[in-house]
Amino acid sequence: MARFRNKKRKAFVKPIIRKQPNVDHVTGDKIPKSFVFSRGKLPGVLRQLQMDLRKLMLPFTALNLKEKRRNNLKDFLNVAGPMGVTHFLILSKTETAPYLRVARTPQGPTLTFKIHEYSLAADIAQSQLRPRCPKDLFNNPPLIVLSGFGTGEQHLKLTTIMFQNIFPAIDINTVKLSSCQRIVLLNYNKDTKLIDFRHYSIRLQPVGVSRRIRKFVQNHQVPDLRNLQDVSDFVTKAGYGSESEVDDEAATVSLPVDLGRVNRASNKSAVKLQEVGPRMTLQLIKVEEGLCSGGVIFSEFGNVSSGNKKTNEEEQQKDEEEDEQEDKDEDEQENNEEGEDEDEKEDNEDD
Amino acid sequence: MGEVKQSIEVTNGGKKRRVGKNKGKMAKKKQRMMPQGAENRMKVDKRMRKLFQKRAREYNSDEEGEYEQLQQSALSTGVAKFKKSDDEFEGGFSDNSEEENQRIEEYEVSEDEDGGIQPGITKFTEGIKAFKLAFKKVVKKSGGDEEVLGPVLSAHKKLLAEKLAEEEEEKKVKGEAKKEKHLIGEKGHVKPENYLDAHEKFLLSVATKGVVKLFNAVNKAQTAQKGLNPSRSKDEKVIKKRTKEAFFSELGKTSSQSAGTGTVVKVGTSNGSVDGETPAWAPLRDNYMLTNPKLKDWDKMQDADDADDFGGNGQVKILVGRRNLERQYRAME
Repeated sequence: MARFRNKKRKAFVKPIIRKQPNVDHVTGDKIPKSFVFSRGKLPGVLRQLQMDLRKLMLPFTALNLKEKRRNNLKDFLNVAGPMGVTHFLILSKTETAPYLRVARTPQGPTLTFKIHEYSLAADIAQSQLRPRCPKDLFNNPPLIVLSGFGTGEQHLKLTTIMFQNIFPAIDINTVKLSSCQRIVLLNYNKDTKLIDFRHYSIRLQPVGVSRRIRKFVQNHQVPDLRNLQDVSDFVTKAGYGSESEVDDEAATVSLPVDLGRVNRASNKSAVKLQEVGPRMTLQLIKVEEGLCSGGVIFSEFGNVSSGNKKTNEEEQQKDEEEDEQEDKDEDEQENNEEGEDEDEKEDNEDD
Repeated sequence: MGEVKQSIEVTNGGKKRRVGKNKGKMAKKKQRMMPQGAENRMKVDKRMRKLFQKRAREYNSDEEGEYEQLQQSALSTGVAKFKKSDDEFEGGFSDNSEEENQRIEEYEVSEDEDGGIQPGITKFTEGIKAFKLAFKKVVKKSGGDEEVLGPVLSAHKKLLAEKLAEEEEEKKVKGEAKKEKHLIGEKGHVKPENYLDAHEKFLLSVATKGVVKLFNAVNKAQTAQKGLNPSRSKDEKVIKKRTKEAFFSELGKTSSQSAGTGTVVKVGTSNGSVDGETPAWAPLRDNYMLTNPKLKDWDKMQDADDADDFGGNGQVKILVGRRNLERQYRAME
């Protein structure tokens, strides 16, 4: 008698693994890759944030990285080596706030950021009238723009370098503009010492073409001419134009090659950005020498053994004045961290 | 008669509470039974009626002790339900004649004697009228809020109400704890506004500036390259020259010939020529982090060209993507 086959059992199909190159075939640079994962149990919202961050880091990241409770940092590190992973983005959470650690593997340094505020990509899409997400948005790595980091402070420089190297470098001689679809912006605010982290999608629109014609060319659809007397009206009649449609002279570029059907090299194009999310407000708290370990190079709250001790102490005093308005929890944390730092200072002095 | 009822209540005590628990089941049963009786009313024929009348007469003549015995057995059967209902409406029903009450009990007993429930009987004696009244009363009563709280037919209403209140309180506490946990999880989570506020607009403009800068740089670099086709021998020479320059610059020498090549070099399309002017500060070099993962002395290096690297125009200094790009762009200008 023939038995019924178990439907759950599937024939084993060897998964097709598209091996990602370790080295850019055009420029020969090493391509940085990243893992985004969490330490400790995260609430649902933060898990979503983690997923958003993974999407942001695409294509050179593990989108479906499975982590178990018993996985420790060493496990990830062991996997990272053979896979050519160069950066870790680690999310964690305490009672006071969620934290993001950005680390280089295998030896560090590690930057610890406190996430003051954050919004998910879903929240941002919800707030927009027409959220935009073309299919190939995440096929290419984003550009990165760092602004306001040139204050000369060492830890900011390190942050700059870290974030510049987290995405593959662009060679402007060979880069295709069609692959520049997204941009990550990090804006440092000197006064508040907060870093605004934003993620935008880039869209190009021809300048000086009415909206109607543009849509007509883009959509491949027969336009609605019922209300018009003549075909020429379709072209000549000015459509409604909103304030935002008025092209900013500063935001126009001319392209070296044609991009799509609408954006011609001969024409000027306007650069339009639309936020994709996630959105974060970060504060650099600590810089460690190793991977989540080692000596503390910089600490927002306490001080360190480095050469710019005095300046940091001054900053700290300022901070304390500012922080007095803030809640007690944070103060407690500061004290804790200060305590740790003092310990370390002593260690260093012993050396 | 009153004594009898007392005893019944006591014996029923344990059972009733259980009844209260699966209240839904009971209510269903009740509903099912009533229409059944109504249907069977027509079926009772004369002979049966006579038989029942005879039996009723017999029990009327029975002694008290015997009666109680029967009562005990009745409790174990489904008949007990009627009894309970009787208890329930006792308060409002007290003005009813004793005779009537007795009759109700009579027919109950008679049923039991037969060894099963015979629905026809309940319609038979006059007691049914009393039952009808009582049941109506109970149903009417269940309209108010307090009555709805527990099962309709329950003697321990107070107890039930207490229990329910307790449960509710527990739920409240649990809910609050859950809410608190949720709030902690949500800490820092902000829903964005529908409009762009000033800060967002500023960030957007910064990002746009960066993109424009990059695109312009790419445009300049690639349009200069446009005319060159590697398959043509003439262009090949130019490209070769550039790679040669790149090679030299990588060695740290600037080839003297490169100055004479004219416009092509000025545009600075070759990657190498840019690398020639590597900054003294190691972390600013392109390959710093990638080749040297150890970042021990990152803060001890001298940063000589710090000032000119970030440019001096305006407060918002933008570093577009890569450093070499920035430098290239400046070289082009």
